[in-house]
Amino acid sequence: MSETLQNESLATDPDTNRLERAPRRSTWSAYLHSPLGVAGGAVLVLVVLAALLAPVLAPQDPSTADLALAFHGPTTGHPLGLDSAGRDVLSRLLYGARTTLGGAGLAVAVALVLGVPTGLVAGYRGRRFDGVASWLVNLVMSLPAMIVLLASRAILGPTVWVLMLVMGVLVAPSFYRLTRGVVADVRGELYVDAARVSGLSDARIIGRHVLVVVRAPIIIQAALVGGIAIGLQAGLEFLGIGSGDTPTWGAMLNEAFQNIQRSPGLIVWPGLALGLTSASLVLVASALRDALEGAGGARRARRRPAPRTSTTPVPVPAPVPSSAGSDVPRGGLLSVRGLAVAYGTDDDAREVVHDVDLDVGPGEIVGLVGESGSGKSQTAFSVLGILPRGGHVVRGSVTVEGQEVLELDERARRTLRGRVVAYVPQEPMSNLDPTFTIGSQLAEPLRCTLGLSRRAAHARVVELLRQVEIKDPERVARLYPHEISGGMAQRVLIAGAMSGDPRLLVADEPTTALDVTVQAEVLALLRRLRDERGLGVLLVTHNLGVVADLCDRVAVMQDGRIVENGTTAQVLRRPEHPYTRRLVGAVLDDAPCREPWEPPSSAPDRTEATA
Amino acid sequence: MKTTRILAAVVAAGVAATLAACSGSGGGAAGTAAQHSDTLAIGTMTAAASLDPTQATGSGMPYYQAVYDTLILRKADGTYAPMLATEWSYDDTRTALSLTLRQGVTFTDGSAFDGAAVKKNLIAFRDGGGGSATELSALKSVKVVDAHHVVLELKQPDPGLLFSLSDAAGLVASPTKIGSKDLATQPDGTGPYTLDTASTAIGSKYVFTRKADYWGDKAAYKTVTISSFDNENAIVNGLKTGQLNTAILQTVDQQTAAESDTKLTSQKFEFDFQGLILFDRAGALNKALGDVKVRQAINYAIDRDALLTGLRQGRGTVTSQIWGPDTPGYEKSLDDAYPYDPAKAKQLLAEAGYADGFTLTLPALAGITTDAMTSALSTQLKKVGITLKWDSLDGSTALQKIFRDRAYAGMVMNLGQATDAWTVVQAAILPGTFNMFGYTDPTVTKLAAKIAAEPADQAGADAKALNEHVVDQAWFAPFYRMTYTLVTDQTVKATTQSGMAVPSLYDYTPAS
Amino acid sequence: MTTFVLRRLAAGIFLLLVISFLTFALLSVPHTDVGRALLGQNASQAAVDARNASLGLDRPMLAQYADWLSHAVRGDLGRSWFTGEDVWSALATRLPVTLSIVVGVTLVTAVLSLLLGVWAAVRGGVVDRLVQVLSVIGYALPGFLVTLVLVLVFAVQLRWFPAIGYIPFTQSPSGWLSTVTLPIAALSVGAVAGVAQQVRGSVADVLERDFVRTLRARGLPPGRILFRHVVRNASAPALTVLGLQFVGLLGGAVLVEQIFGLPGIGSMTVQYTTRGDIPVIMGLVMVSVVGVVVVNLVVDVLVGVPNPKARVA
Repeated sequence: MSETLQNESLATDPDTNRLERAPRRSTWSAYLHSPLGVAGGAVLVLVVLAALLAPVLAPQDPSTADLALAFHGPTTGHPLGLDSAGRDVLSRLLYGARTTLGGAGLAVAVALVLGVPTGLVAGYRGRRFDGVASWLVNLVMSLPAMIVLLASRAILGPTVWVLMLVMGVLVAPSFYRLTRGVVADVRGELYVDAARVSGLSDARIIGRHVLVVVRAPIIIQAALVGGIAIGLQAGLEFLGIGSGDTPTWGAMLNEAFQNIQRSPGLIVWPGLALGLTSASLVLVASALRDALEGAGGARRARRRPAPRTSTTPVPVPAPVPSSAGSDVPRGGLLSVRGLAVAYGTDDDAREVVHDVDLDVGPGEIVGLVGESGSGKSQTAFSVLGILPRGGHVVRGSVTVEGQEVLELDERARRTLRGRVVAYVPQEPMSNLDPTFTIGSQLAEPLRCTLGLSRRAAHARVVELLRQVEIKDPERVARLYPHEISGGMAQRVLIAGAMSGDPRLLVADEPTTALDVTVQAEVLALLRRLRDERGLGVLLVTHNLGVVADLCDRVAVMQDGRIVENGTTAQVLRRPEHPYTRRLVGAVLDDAPCREPWEPPSSAPDRTEATA
Repeated sequence: MKTTRILAAVVAAGVAATLAACSGSGGGAAGTAAQHSDTLAIGTMTAAASLDPTQATGSGMPYYQAVYDTLILRKADGTYAPMLATEWSYDDTRTALSLTLRQGVTFTDGSAFDGAAVKKNLIAFRDGGGGSATELSALKSVKVVDAHHVVLELKQPDPGLLFSLSDAAGLVASPTKIGSKDLATQPDGTGPYTLDTASTAIGSKYVFTRKADYWGDKAAYKTVTISSFDNENAIVNGLKTGQLNTAILQTVDQQTAAESDTKLTSQKFEFDFQGLILFDRAGALNKALGDVKVRQAINYAIDRDALLTGLRQGRGTVTSQIWGPDTPGYEKSLDDAYPYDPAKAKQLLAEAGYADGFTLTLPALAGITTDAMTSALSTQLKKVGITLKWDSLDGSTALQKIFRDRAYAGMVMNLGQATDAWTVVQAAILPGTFNMFGYTDPTVTKLAAKIAAEPADQAGADAKALNEHVVDQAWFAPFYRMTYTLVTDQTVKATTQSGMAVPSLYDYTPAS
Repeated sequence: MTTFVLRRLAAGIFLLLVISFLTFALLSVPHTDVGRALLGQNASQAAVDARNASLGLDRPMLAQYADWLSHAVRGDLGRSWFTGEDVWSALATRLPVTLSIVVGVTLVTAVLSLLLGVWAAVRGGVVDRLVQVLSVIGYALPGFLVTLVLVLVFAVQLRWFPAIGYIPFTQSPSGWLSTVTLPIAALSVGAVAGVAQQVRGSVADVLERDFVRTLRARGLPPGRILFRHVVRNASAPALTVLGLQFVGLLGGAVLVEQIFGLPGIGSMTVQYTTRGDIPVIMGLVMVSVVGVVVVNLVVDVLVGVPNPKARVA
């Protein structure tokens, strides 16, 4: 019974939390898309209805026994036959549902009442209350469950209600931990902070904001605990620790087992009822979880970019023909032509990148600009061949140093990664494996793909760290990611990208997650690397300031298409596409905060931009 | 380098052990069967308590019989034969029993079996506060005549004494160990086996090994194991796979399961009766029960045949008396004294002034009253207007409420049917455990006294009179005697013990 | 690290004290007539009362507890009221049985659920659904039915394994293996179902983490990323669940122990608690609390191995 008492961890992807705090409707529709979840839910509803309507549906009183009819098969009055004492199986099944489900409900209710409020307060308030509560939780979790169960039963009487009450107390810690964990996670989050600033009382914040977040995991946990409770009833019944003469499915199952030689069929109905109900609870729980965080915490996250591009019905202005297209000669280092990326399978495929053309020459920094969800990251991933699962290039051509990479098999493509095309990600912290030291994760590709010895790899790592201007590289190599700052982490990632001595760097918003001064340093580092090594850089960003600062050329993306393409000066000074104009205008709006590193030459003047 | 060598050694040892186990007969399920002829594996639902004989009760006898001998041997048919006592005789007043003791017998620790040892054991049993201590309550003193003769002096005649001396009270442990706490787990007797403490898991599996220098006939088996289980399903599985050679089965379904296996032999026998004991015959707790007509009405309201068919699939014999066929005083016609007659029951209730019925609260005990039984009884009695209310109780709480708090006017119980009338009278009729309200009437008092005073083999007529009286007065509402089966596999022959739920350990012999 | 362990152990001893008191109090509340249970139906009420008095049951609960505690701290847990066996030796014969099974189940669960969970998370689609369905089935089947079916098929019909009993490892390693295989298999069904789900979830989560993409972008082979990075990151929740599993099974193995007639502490718990054999029950309480404390400690230390952030100071 213990396996599901753990705290189900919910998606902690900060992105999901911030951007996709599930609106109810989408959760519902996601849930309804899971056939197993719907089936499970339907079974549960039926079982609950049957339990509620037992007095109406049952042919007779569940404990009326006619021994003359013992073990009799189905008859008109007794559609499911009679048991060893000549009691109507259907009636017992229906009334059994009441005690069985009622008992499970009691267990869940007790656990909820004890676990959730304490968890809320502990997670929200922390400190001393948390200390005391956690100690109590430890205490309860260390109690020898069986002994407590039997002793309580001896005191309070051998009824299913007592057993379930005690079980509720014993599993309450799992709800406490779950609630506390989730609440502690969201406590620091923006919207709770905001709520606090706006002067809401704690009670309102918990009620309005926090409870909403823990609701789903609690429902899931409750379903699982309910299933366990039902199973436990049956198990205890088998041990002779039964529920007295109240009909429960467990008692029926045990009774059937006692007569399995005489009438093996008796085991079918209670077994089926018990199995189907527990299975339904699990299915509902898992469908609900999938609906909330995407299947397996993943599938929906993978598709995240897809709905945004394809479901926006805003008419997309036609690409500006003069600044993009196949008439431009293909770039020497990277050349993308007519690239289209889609998610999903054939009939369900959603195209998120449409006919993109891009070129990067050696030593050239090309910006790929657009709002989040415009398809720029998908384009970058296609170049590297690291599209998330479900995503694939549907047409087009990508050449790296003149070689068509889309035709290469996975193994051949892998040899290009790191050594020819390297990648600098957006969020520095999340892109380092927290379980390895900086040194070992930088050394791994060196040893694995370049075949360096341990010692040589280490020397190279130190050298790389030095190149990205990290002081005391020997020490940093021994640190874990959580022990370094974001800026340093980004340098480490750049060092990692440079470790294979690539010719093309694909940098996906490399500065977005960093604070202002660090941004400038990282950009300077990129520029220096380009200058020293003649790197080509594809710089994915939404920040026109960065583009202006760094890029030679820029391509603007909207809704999966390149809408404008040209030299930086050209695009920023004289944006032709309305979308580009809007982007440029937006930059000017918050220009003051970017001023320190916006080269005056690239700042378009206000009249031009708003024109 | 070093690690590899150690690892290699470990692997080699493991392989060697596996090979040894496979080539020998000890490996796995198949191997156990090969050892049969010199090993007897008994499965039982009776958990052994202490092996200290002063704490012994009849139900655990096979455990004790391995290491201890009793003064008198009770044979399978219930007759007595010499064991540690070679001869015995009463005086004319039946208040002094002389025993001649076997010579040349020693305990495992080397001390001699003699009159002093017998005295020490009997007194320790009487005063030791064990569950069967009352068996010797009539014992005034033990006179040691010489090393091989003792006289048991009684306060009053006790027709059950010989039975007791062939049962728990007759077990004799080494006098040097009597009173020691270790006796509970390290028994020391004159019996045919010794406890192999190394292989024994107290409370679940006891392993006994044959004593080379046993005074009597060499024991039939080199090793005897008695394993206790919580459910008969495990026992039947053990029998089917040859891991157990014999067991008693009580539940009908498991009996059927064992019978379906052609390699197993099932002998049916009856020992317990199951029925409603109506304690409150004076109506102290439940006024209605004070009226004999009400008690008779209950008897008429119970459809015994239906109960037997439904609850035990017909395995047993319906009865209205608590005497069993082997008990002096048994009267076959009394089995049908109360045929199923709800009309008559209603009429009797009306005559007693309970035309509208009444409510009777009974304890529902896990292990005795099944859910099916309570439903069936409730339904049957409801038909004549009696409402049964069942209180679900757990093991030791139940004992407290029933026996100490006297919270119930009656209960459903299984009671064994002893081979002598006095034991029945003592256990179920006279004030005591199963007559906790202490009710009696002049007829009962008179007949009980007579039975107590006469030799057991002459008590038949009075016992029958008492039996008839108790049935007529409806002290009980028995349902049926239950059929148990003694299951044996092909390697062993066993004989059921009269008046006991389990065979004596001596009554198992190799089949070949 | 040492300080951490010592501090945890000290807290554990305190916990042990509190729980021993709570259980003792709980066991003393019901009016269970131990004397009657011991002596059976034929004993006189006077004998029963005398026996209860000799066990000290007529004294106030606090005095009884103080008495128990003063002996317990000296390592004397007393003797069983029913079998007269020393509690330590009773535990010593029973504990290896349950530990064999529980450790076995934990190992089998760890390996199988890792394989199944990773397989489901990585392959997705049909495989994922298959593992999910198997999990749900394993979860929904009542444990004792699974056990009974296993016994019927593999012991009674096929005779591959013994149907009942336990052979100590020291007596015969192969015999030991044959007696614990089916019990372990029976308990593993539900356990794997639960933990595999957990592993699947964690692995799927980790697969979506940014660093996995970055590792791919560095040209590392997928197998290496999976087993070196993903599994390591996904292991913490799985370890925690396994730990809970282990603790739960210490007491929860009772069904399997009864069906296989194994003399383990699970069936011991039910037997002795029902009879009210306080010395033995208290011994069991001690064992189980120590088990919980130790397992939790081990889990916390183990979780820290792959996870430097959670590493104990």
